[in-house]
Amino acid sequence: MRSARIISTTAFLLLIFVIQESLIARINFPISGFSLYIAVLMGLISFEDRDGAIVTGFIGGLILDLSPTIDAPLGQWALVMTAMGYLFSVNRETIGDFATRPAALIFFVALGSATSLFLFLFSGLMLGENNGAVSKIALTVAGNSLWTVLFSPLILPVLSKLRALSLSSRDRK
Amino acid sequence: MASGGNNRSRLLLVILLVTSLFLITLDLRGVSLTNSSRSLTQSILAPVQRVFSSAFSPVGNFFADVKNFGKTKAELKDVQSQNEKLKSQIIINEDIKGQLKQLHATLNLAGRGGYTVVAARVIGRGSASTFSQTITIDAGTSSGVTKDMTVIAGAGLVGVIKSATSSSAIVLLMSDPSFRIGVRIAGTQSAGVLLGQGDSSYLLQLLDPAGSISVGEVLVSLGSDNARPFVPGIPVGRVTGVDHTSASLTQQATVIGLTNLDNVDVVSVITKNAKQDPKNALVPTPQPTVTVYVTPVPLPVLPSPGVSTSGSPSPMPSATLAKK
Repeated sequence: MRSARIISTTAFLLLIFVIQESLIARINFPISGFSLYIAVLMGLISFEDRDGAIVTGFIGGLILDLSPTIDAPLGQWALVMTAMGYLFSVNRETIGDFATRPAALIFFVALGSATSLFLFLFSGLMLGENNGAVSKIALTVAGNSLWTVLFSPLILPVLSKLRALSLSSRDRK
Repeated sequence: MASGGNNRSRLLLVILLVTSLFLITLDLRGVSLTNSSRSLTQSILAPVQRVFSSAFSPVGNFFADVKNFGKTKAELKDVQSQNEKLKSQIIINEDIKGQLKQLHATLNLAGRGGYTVVAARVIGRGSASTFSQTITIDAGTSSGVTKDMTVIAGAGLVGVIKSATSSSAIVLLMSDPSFRIGVRIAGTQSAGVLLGQGDSSYLLQLLDPAGSISVGEVLVSLGSDNARPFVPGIPVGRVTGVDHTSASLTQQATVIGLTNLDNVDVVSVITKNAKQDPKNALVPTPQPTVTVYVTPVPLPVLPSPGVSTSGSPSPMPSATLAKK
């Protein structure tokens, strides 16, 4: 992953982070909230190769760690998203090209969002955090996955086009 | 080549995982990197949140209000566009009216308790990815708001200030699983600890093994040293169920919060405690209800076939009104 692409990806993720924290977080979604940021991050990871997915996951997680509302140590989301980037890229190779299978991509992004939330909770448990009632957690994860499935068909084509625009001729090779 | 690529990926993975663990270790060891970086993020986000808050205030209830949209017809385009403007104005006005109502109730509670407060608007909420239950308010250190101050709404406690920048502050809601507050039962004065559960219900653990709890009793805050983080006398919740089956030494009860934390838009931060403990002065009193007593009167006997009826009105049950 070239430095120019790292910078552009970071800037784009920061923009989505601001939208998430300022606008999306204000909307009272039925069932539970929706994390546009995690959905976009999972989308970006799914378009990258193995190295790109790991680096994008780390940067995305580190930005998420900066959220002022979060009550977890700095680096926890970075750890989770780096692992997710790796897991995503490894399993992505077994499925094949997402361009010909958009439904599989949506499923993968929703599954990735849910898995990342569970990994975050699990790592939090290991660090001694109290995450509250299991029913509430299950509702949060299920609600977020549902909204990710519903919104992914709108988000992923835009991400795909933006990525195509941002790729240099050297990256395309 | 593939093997070389895989090795490089693994090395990259290990480096980044170690970096993450290093950051976590720094944070857990109390290095101020975390707080300063998050304070910086909050300082940057607060103005943006304020702009979004004023521009998209009605959007928060989009899913509830969505039925009001989508009635456009081509032949009424001009009239309807005007109508839509008026509709959106009404929604904004309703939103402002709701906020005013909440502000009135909040200031009323603070006034009765004799607290000095700073009113603030909610400009952000903790997102789904954070799991911690927080709100962001538009008052900060420049308004006298600092860490560990009690935050209230019209019905009672909302939470406590977790961190503050010059123009905004983050409030840890009382529903957060890490939230703990000392409370006393307004009636029996038994003290206990109220624990957040992550939703609208709370767990009360009585400190006194011989103490008793009854359904319907109201809990008020016990207060902390120098009124930080909690001032005494703030209504917190109402007991909805008592756990008689628990094998623990202390009694436990289920409590429901008096404040609906999902709908809170305006809050007050208590910057100065009351001169005197308000005791139970802020405990919500039940509204008088009108009871109707109905005295049953035997129904008139139906006339037999062939017998004529008189024109006098049939007796009606008498009713009296009484106030409880």
